[in-house]
Amino acid sequence: METTNDKGLALVETYYKDYGCQARAMKKAGKRAMGYISAVAPVEIINAAGFTPVRIKGDPNEAVTKAYSSMETLVCPFLLNAFDLALKGKYDYLDGIVIPHTCDSVSRTYEVWKRNFPLPYYHFLNVPHLDGAPSLAFFTQILKTFIKSLEQFTGNGISEKNLAHAVLAYNELRQAMRDLYDLRKPDQPLISGIEMIKLLVAVKALPVDESAALVRQVTEEVKGRTISSPQKPLRIMLVGDQIDDTGLIEIIEKTGAQVVMDDVSVGSKLYYADIETTSDPVYGIAEYYLEKVSLPTFYRDRGGSYDENLELRFGHLKRFISEFNVDAVILLVYKNCDPYGFEVPATISYIESLGKPVFYVEDEYSSSSSSRLKTRIEAFLEMFTQERR
Amino acid sequence: MAEERKQRMTATAAAAKIPKMVRANFTANLKAKEEGRPVAFSFIVNCYDEILRAMDIVPAWAESYSGICAAKRDAGKYLEKAESQNFSRSLCTYATCGLGFEYWRNELGGEMPPDAPWGGIARPDFILGTGQMLCDPRYKWPQAAQHYMQDVPAYIGGFYWPPYDENMDQREVENYYLKYAVDELKGAIAFIEKQTQKKMDWNKLEEITDLVDRTWDMFIDAYELRKARPTPMDTGDAMNTMVPLAFMLGTQEAYDFYKDLYDELKGRIDKKEGVAEDEKYRLLWGAGLPPWFALSDFQYFNNKGAVFPAERTYREAERIDRLDLPKLSDPLERIALRWMRYWTHWYDAARKRKGSIPEVERLIEYIEDYQIDGVVFHKAFSCRTWHSGILLQAQILKEVYREIPILVLEGDIVDISSYNEGATHLRIDAFIEVLENLKNKC
Ligand code: SF4
Ligand code: SF4
Repeated sequence: METTNDKGLALVETYYKDYGCQARAMKKAGKRAMGYISAVAPVEIINAAGFTPVRIKGDPNEAVTKAYSSMETLVCPFLLNAFDLALKGKYDYLDGIVIPHTCDSVSRTYEVWKRNFPLPYYHFLNVPHLDGAPSLAFFTQILKTFIKSLEQFTGNGISEKNLAHAVLAYNELRQAMRDLYDLRKPDQPLISGIEMIKLLVAVKALPVDESAALVRQVTEEVKGRTISSPQKPLRIMLVGDQIDDTGLIEIIEKTGAQVVMDDVSVGSKLYYADIETTSDPVYGIAEYYLEKVSLPTFYRDRGGSYDENLELRFGHLKRFISEFNVDAVILLVYKNCDPYGFEVPATISYIESLGKPVFYVEDEYSSSSSSRLKTRIEAFLEMFTQERR
Repeated sequence: MAEERKQRMTATAAAAKIPKMVRANFTANLKAKEEGRPVAFSFIVNCYDEILRAMDIVPAWAESYSGICAAKRDAGKYLEKAESQNFSRSLCTYATCGLGFEYWRNELGGEMPPDAPWGGIARPDFILGTGQMLCDPRYKWPQAAQHYMQDVPAYIGGFYWPPYDENMDQREVENYYLKYAVDELKGAIAFIEKQTQKKMDWNKLEEITDLVDRTWDMFIDAYELRKARPTPMDTGDAMNTMVPLAFMLGTQEAYDFYKDLYDELKGRIDKKEGVAEDEKYRLLWGAGLPPWFALSDFQYFNNKGAVFPAERTYREAERIDRLDLPKLSDPLERIALRWMRYWTHWYDAARKRKGSIPEVERLIEYIEDYQIDGVVFHKAFSCRTWHSGILLQAQILKEVYREIPILVLEGDIVDISSYNEGATHLRIDAFIEVLENLKNKC
């Protein structure tokens, strides 16, 4: 791919490589940063309280060495890795961490984080697994308690105006992301999967306005690209949770295939719906996270048939497959991950029922497993390409 | 084929009655199915016990069935079936055992898989799960099971309790937690009414709620007798005697069982009958579900003079007066608040001891009340909910309380491939030596 001006992409590269550098620099200038784990921490509220939200990520290239003495290996390997990074000083610039109740691994290690990586502020956010009216009312209250606790911590009130402003800013980022995702739809996508994941990760440690501006800048840059290759790549959708590294995508794209869509928790899961601008912004935020973020940590059932429930759970995958003209799906689930692990058979059969092949892989969140992964993925893609011919 | 193995000897007549009771539970769900009475899959600590009993639903306890398969060392075939469906070996093995079973049953067109231990578990008419802080399989397992029983509806109710925060009194937020839990219990009732076309009998629900209060009290009264020296019953037996509390709550039989247990333990105390011939060390089973295929390890401890007068596991009840409950007339509020306070009533103590957490306060309470010399944890690799945080609890216990010998055993609840008897016994021997040395020093 050629591009005329790649300042935005160069910035993405910097932010991706030195994750959190901007938040760290801002901290030195007197600004504050709040870490959080998983896709369901309401960044809008963290932002409205005056913090740059920083999604805690891991680094599969970094061997876990320090975490073992305080966190059990039976938890999510991503989490263990991220905790290890924290113990090694990677997140020292944070003022606090918000840990939502997403899965057992995350919830059950809250005190482990708090105890072994002490920061001035910690908050456990009790996100329910359900949607529907009682859950929404409950989660709205949970968010109000969270707001109160942030107000106590900072000594400043969080006004409805601040919240409404943050909601608009994140909706703006979501729209910008969707516009960029659109550029993956053509036969020759204008942005590669590797570039995209780097951007998705980079914005997770930037102030929201900067994020939106960066996404717009990259969009403009890649729009100006001319694609020289006449060959249409095999189009892959990647499904999984905390995929926050290029490793797997590099393996895929080195075969000539291209990741054209994702359903991962640093990616499209967060960008394909907006927060309604309701009169009570907290209610709008609650509704967004409980009803619009498609994670297997949410139980979806409106009393219909099993097939109707499948549509509630996986209907977005059908839309993505069709809109992005996906040829095959790679489903990556980490070991010890109950929410994703329990729905592997249902996910596979749903996607297969759409006539698309799925390659399922269980992984350890470590680059040391990548050679094994590489051989298997290459074999899958090769087989699929031959079948298509 | 189930392997031959050593049976654990029970110390109490009460524990010896349990296998028959568990079997009766399974016969009951199979029979109900035959007779067309409603059967529901349910999971322990799901807070639907009173509702189930008041609405004459026959519970088929999914975890219990996996535990039975494990205890019979006959779970491997179901785990393999689950694996063939791409369920990871790292997932909760209660669930994967159950899911392997359901996958197989579905393959057989709804017929019971061959040679199912104790005749199998009934195919449910509906499933009751919960979204709560206890564990993910409580809502993911029902959903995954539906993949193999697509006509079986499920109800998942939200049931949360305020998390521990040393800077906040949980009572400040309790009201909205309570309201949510009650709304969700109402949802469960509406769901069951729809499934069974039968209305809730609210008077009966109230009576059963009273009965559960009394059962909790009787359970604790009986268990507290284990404070005696020598202890008349230990954790090896408690892994059996938990059955009425976990699987029969809301029945008169459960209450009567603990009343009988109480009387039996009193009698043993009067006669100074202990679990071990010569009780030398008193241990706390600090956390962790047991390896169901290796309950004879408790015997191994006992043979060395080590007994477990208390355990954290399956002690899912508290004396009602300790929960400081307000007078409530709505049985749903009573059910919800009783559970909520059960989880949160160690919070105040944790806030008072700098650096402590509720889980550790609970251990300290048992250590003091039951005169404990050492703590044993079991880390089952496939269950994150009880088994992550054990390192932390051990660390905090030593920091905020005192140096106390701790043994962390590793294995699983169902998956026997994780277990090595020789290595486990060696670790127990070494631990006993530590206890012995400490005793000699004192
Ligand atoms: S990958 Fe799974 S276990 Fe890990 S944080 Fe996400 S949901 Fe939890
Ligand atoms: S508590 Fe643990 S063993 Fe029990 S169902 Fe949950 S994950 Fe499985």
